[in-house]
Amino acid sequence: MSYIDVDRVSKSFGERVAINELSLHIERSERLVLFGPSGCGKTTVLRLLAGLEVPEQGSIRIDGRLLASAGKNLVPPEKRDLGMVFQDLALWPHMTVQQNLMFGLNARRVPKREAHVRVREMLHRVGLEHRIDAKPHELSGGEQQRVALARALVTRPSILLMDEPLSSLDDERKRTIASDLLDLQSQLGFTLIYVTHDRTETDLLASRVCQMRDGRVA
Amino acid sequence: MGRPVRAETIVLGLCVALVAIAGLAPIAVMGFESVWHDGHFSLDHYRELISSARFWPLFGNSIQLALATTTVCGLIGVPAGILFAKSDLSLRSGFMWLLTVPLVLPPYFVALGWARVVARIGTIASDWLFGFGGCVLVLSSVFLPITMLLTFASILNVDRRLEEAARLVSGWPGVLRRVTLPLSAPGIVFSLVLVFLLAMGELSVPSFLRYPTLPVLSFTQFAASYNFGAATAAAVPLAAIAFVGVLVESAFLRDRDYTFRSTGQTLFISLRHWKSPLAALMAALCFALVILPLSALFADAFSPAAMHEAMQRAGASVVRSVMYSAVAATILMALGFLLGHFMRGGRQRVLSAFTLALFAIPGTVLSIGLVRLWNTPGTWFIYATPALLILGYTAQYCAVTTRLSLAGLMLIPTSLDEAGRLGGAMWARRLFRISIPLSTRTLVCSWLAAYILCLRDVPIALMTAPPGGDPLPARILTLMANGAPPMIASLCLIMAIASLIPLVILARVIPSRGITA
Repeated sequence: MSYIDVDRVSKSFGERVAINELSLHIERSERLVLFGPSGCGKTTVLRLLAGLEVPEQGSIRIDGRLLASAGKNLVPPEKRDLGMVFQDLALWPHMTVQQNLMFGLNARRVPKREAHVRVREMLHRVGLEHRIDAKPHELSGGEQQRVALARALVTRPSILLMDEPLSSLDDERKRTIASDLLDLQSQLGFTLIYVTHDRTETDLLASRVCQMRDGRVA
Repeated sequence: MGRPVRAETIVLGLCVALVAIAGLAPIAVMGFESVWHDGHFSLDHYRELISSARFWPLFGNSIQLALATTTVCGLIGVPAGILFAKSDLSLRSGFMWLLTVPLVLPPYFVALGWARVVARIGTIASDWLFGFGGCVLVLSSVFLPITMLLTFASILNVDRRLEEAARLVSGWPGVLRRVTLPLSAPGIVFSLVLVFLLAMGELSVPSFLRYPTLPVLSFTQFAASYNFGAATAAAVPLAAIAFVGVLVESAFLRDRDYTFRSTGQTLFISLRHWKSPLAALMAALCFALVILPLSALFADAFSPAAMHEAMQRAGASVVRSVMYSAVAATILMALGFLLGHFMRGGRQRVLSAFTLALFAIPGTVLSIGLVRLWNTPGTWFIYATPALLILGYTAQYCAVTTRLSLAGLMLIPTSLDEAGRLGGAMWARRLFRISIPLSTRTLVCSWLAAYILCLRDVPIALMTAPPGGDPLPARILTLMANGAPPMIASLCLIMAIASLIPLVILARVIPSRGITA
């Protein structure tokens, strides 16, 4: 049994089949890149793993724990111990950088003092300690990417899901952030599942590539 | 050679001129009138008003009534809006539209219904209804839909990605408290400010339930004593509070005007074992606030004799009401669309705040100003015709159609207009060929909302209608003094049908919420 087991999972949106009996097995600390054209179901796989969508068929297990099975999510998203960086980053516009990072720690009842230390430490890792009181709209595109990454990692998840977060950046920025991401992954040891349709990002990040087409692994 | 004046500037100028004539000029004249006494500047009216034994208790009553109504609407309307927008509550659409019914009827209908209910219970209930408690009950039923619908709309508008990001680390209570509600706060606060101002300026309910407030005093000074100076002096504090309310709302909204990238579908909360108890609670609320008073009101309405008498005594008013409201709604739709077009991208903020202040100003205040401005021999063609009424409706409700249009226009990517501009199309062509065809639904919603608001309006109808040309809400109020209850009930039923038909159309035009798990 692998660390993450996706077993014959299907998901449709109305008439459109997004995922068709997909099976996927991922090992701990692996860096898996789901690669494929737009609309092939990559993002849906991430959302199913996160618990934001319910699979119609099949099952999902992480570390042996059954998370979803046959039309039911058995474990809610917040109990799955994973972080996610969305394509549009989804930084909360009414919160500062610090508040964006604190939200998850507060929800998990991490003691205040420890939470502050973890926020500082994470912002230091992504080089944004000096922007702690800024609001998302005051940050540059690259800084927003780093905050989104820091927010996803500050709760120390064992799995990080990333949904094409670098697609809007130029190649040079992509390389910088990808290199930071690899450093963080080697330090923190999380499993990375990364969705993209960009060959450069795949080459930069993948320890294994999974090509997708029409809701299946090609 | 000077720069040519663009069509856009001319149309904007005309729109501003219309708002100024309908709203700014009457308020300015009223302010002037209140400080002009016997041909010179004087604060006598204010001195008399403030030193009179009645002013402060009435002012206190108005504030108390507005605060209590706002509190009740906040406590019930906000949770109801959240439930309808985000949960899998059974029959939520039905509950929502049912609770909206009192808003589309003249406010005194609910009071009249409750009067019928308590007449069957006895003196104690009657004593309670005819006073502060009754006023709060009725005004809360009438204005509850404002907080409920604006909370509903604001919550649906929140980008689902932001909630999803929060759901990964927190349960629903935390997501609602820290993400959904703060992001919806501008809409919710706006609804509460609006309820406060509308309750503060309400005339027909406190007047029917014999609870003395400032608008009642202002109306009495105007209609019974013909004392314009005193009436305007009593009205100015109400106008000032409306402006302060709008300023407070604007100050709160500063830096909180969030634009979301992806909207349309919302995450929903599964109520599980709470589903049935909450549905029962909502059913009880609908029964208590809507079904009970309105069924009591309409109970006697169906007899053929009463219906016949109603049509005999007020048939012309029914036709007039529909006609005036339709004309005003058409003007408001066009004006609102144009103003919304000009306000896109945060432009014309002063104009936006001013139209909102006009909406918040009590109808009695606006009407006194209109009468004072146009009641001259030279402007008889306005004063003695329905034009005055239409001007009143235009001033009072243009904020609604403007904001509705703006909300619709914001959904159209600006690139569509820019592409037209690059293609060489002038402003008018882009307006008629791009913006209007893409806004058909917005325009229909805007027209229907304006029609409903004009049709249900009482103070403007009561004070600015031409002699012998009163619309139905004013006519019913007049006939209530000496008309037979079944005939009044029949008139209320006719009025309700005229208001509810557009509401049914509106329910079909407005798309239902998209929900995904």
